[in-house]
Amino acid sequence: MKTFNYTITDPVGIHARPAGILVKEIKKYDSAVTVTKGEKSVNALKLMALMGMGIKQGDTITVSVDGADEDNAAAEIENFFKNNL
Amino acid sequence: MALDYRKCAEEISANIGGGANVISAAHCATRLRLVIADNGKVNKKALENVDGVKGMFESNGQLQLIIGTGTVNKVYDEFLKVTGASAASKDDVKKAAASKMPLWKKILKTPGDIFVPILPAIVASGLMMGLVEALAKAIPSFASSGWFGFLDMVANTAFALLPVLVAISAARVFGGNVFLGAVIGIMMVHPALMNAWTVTPSNQPAVWTLGFLKIAQVGYQGHVIPVILAVFVMSSLEKRLHKIVPEMIDLFVTPLVTVLLTAFATFIVIGPVFSVLENWVLAGAQWLVTSTGGIGALLMGALYPFTVVMGLHHMYNVIEAGMLSSATLGLNIWMPIATAANFAQFGACLAVAIKCRNAKLKSVALPSSLSASLGITEPAIFGVNFRFMKPFIAGVIGGAAGALFGSLVRFTTSTDIYNTAGALVYSAGQKVPLGATTYGVTGIPGLLAINNIPLYCMLLLISAGIAFAVASVIWKEETEEETTEKTEGKNEEKSGVNEAEEFASAVRPAVITCANGKVLQPVKGKVIPRENIPDETFSGGVLGDGVGIQPEAGFVVAPFNGKVSSVAESQHAVGLEANGMELLIHVGVDTVNMNGDGFTCLVKEGDEVKSGQTLILFDIEKIKAAGYNETVAVLLTNSDDLNDVVCG
Repeated sequence: MKTFNYTITDPVGIHARPAGILVKEIKKYDSAVTVTKGEKSVNALKLMALMGMGIKQGDTITVSVDGADEDNAAAEIENFFKNNL
Repeated sequence: MALDYRKCAEEISANIGGGANVISAAHCATRLRLVIADNGKVNKKALENVDGVKGMFESNGQLQLIIGTGTVNKVYDEFLKVTGASAASKDDVKKAAASKMPLWKKILKTPGDIFVPILPAIVASGLMMGLVEALAKAIPSFASSGWFGFLDMVANTAFALLPVLVAISAARVFGGNVFLGAVIGIMMVHPALMNAWTVTPSNQPAVWTLGFLKIAQVGYQGHVIPVILAVFVMSSLEKRLHKIVPEMIDLFVTPLVTVLLTAFATFIVIGPVFSVLENWVLAGAQWLVTSTGGIGALLMGALYPFTVVMGLHHMYNVIEAGMLSSATLGLNIWMPIATAANFAQFGACLAVAIKCRNAKLKSVALPSSLSASLGITEPAIFGVNFRFMKPFIAGVIGGAAGALFGSLVRFTTSTDIYNTAGALVYSAGQKVPLGATTYGVTGIPGLLAINNIPLYCMLLLISAGIAFAVASVIWKEETEEETTEKTEGKNEEKSGVNEAEEFASAVRPAVITCANGKVLQPVKGKVIPRENIPDETFSGGVLGDGVGIQPEAGFVVAPFNGKVSSVAESQHAVGLEANGMELLIHVGVDTVNMNGDGFTCLVKEGDEVKSGQTLILFDIEKIKAAGYNETVAVLLTNSDDLNDVVCG
């Protein structure tokens, strides 16, 4: 399992549109991706759950990637966060 | 905008617990009068907000909704259709209401119930007498012409034979036979009896001797209380006899016995005893007005509007009728007090009408004040003044001041003053109090009945002026504006909810269907394909398949029974789950940047919602003003995982 922390820079946080493209990105990989903020964790494929976390600019989240392609996926997803969120 | 009578009636019905909760319904000139079985089912707040209802209050066991002249009858007709209630006369409603009333109130209410129906006769006669006398004053030759003699006879008919009218009306109120009631009334002013008005110390009536009983051969002209009591006895006797007399002889025995027994009771007990009592009441009222240095009048002017609130003010007619026929007065000096009280309510109501900013309140206050200036104060008192209390108090103060003035002024009369009996009370050149030639009219129409117009105008000015000034001062504008704005805000929100309820209860088409279920249209407006939503994330399908809706109204209702899975912090979007469907309803494009301004989300995460339940209220104009597109995206976010998804 690979884990990384990320601090959100997008002014609106993980809201509908960013969440949508994040889900789309994560679907590319076989690994299960979990997003954790504080004590709450959600499956990052679940758009509603992701939006429901209310992740805002400045929040630090922990992303865990677990599965066969986790090395590649974790790196790509971290890149995706840096470029988009 | 014309009122939708049907809608108004339906909304009223919905807020009183439906037709089953209505014991009876009737209407008067301005009000829908309902007697309600279970008052707990009445939603008073909601009733006041029904479009078309200008105000509501409870009085005498009735729920009264002020709707307005010319419209109340139409709303009433629709109300009967809506509720299935059958038409009740006002009397039925009053009776149903009376059963809920304490005894003392029933007794105090009776004279009013009897006098209200005969007021048209009294007013017609009174005004005609005023006009005829005014003409005689202006044109001396008129007074000696045949015209005067004839018109005078026509004018004073209702007064000269008042007991007949009272008896008929009383028979209706007490549930007796109206014609038997008329017989009792006519009997009491029978031409074979000496006219009570012609009795003087030197002109005493003859006496019939019946064994040890003696009956004075004198009528009851100008009397009211003995007549009411006589008819009460008659009605009670008649009802009892109907029960105990065998049916085959009931038709002739009951009326015969009823009339005969009532006649004895009337002329031997009721008449002599109660005409004395009535004279005391009159003397008391007269003393209160004339001999207390104005204190009594001041008190009455202040208390009068409270008796209007209780619906008891018509009982004063008894006093007024007595004053007019009195041999020492011949004038209705009660009327200036009533006018002061009524006209002060007009002044207070006018102050509210001018000061208020709320359009709905203004539309009630202005016509209500006009009506009050003509002497019909109920709309002003119940619809405006009593509701806010402070204007009512202002009216009480103005009324007391006006009444004080009205009872203290004296002027030199230029003509002779006769009582309704035709006897001279004051001759020209004597000092007389301010008074009217009739009763049942106050305010501006009172000008026709008053004996001194300039003084009367001063009284109007004092009463209304003081009430207006006091109401303007104690009814602070800032606080009023605040509350008005608050209620306006509430109303707007409320109307959004109402519109949403209406939309939700209508048949809504499905905007998305799939193997797992249907998504009914959640927002009123034009449905457009997802591809045409003016935002690439939505149109590109990144967030799933669905449709866009160009909203016509600012609300979102639930498209199915389900659970709220997420609510955006800025309240503009909501996620719902049901049966494996995940749905996002997102109001506007980029509206997250509005940080919730213009959006109100009524549900929270985890709530179970029913199809049609209002989820979000939003302000289309605010979205536009902030520079965003208002299209609502309705998207199945997991459409990739669902089968047979069809949008639009």
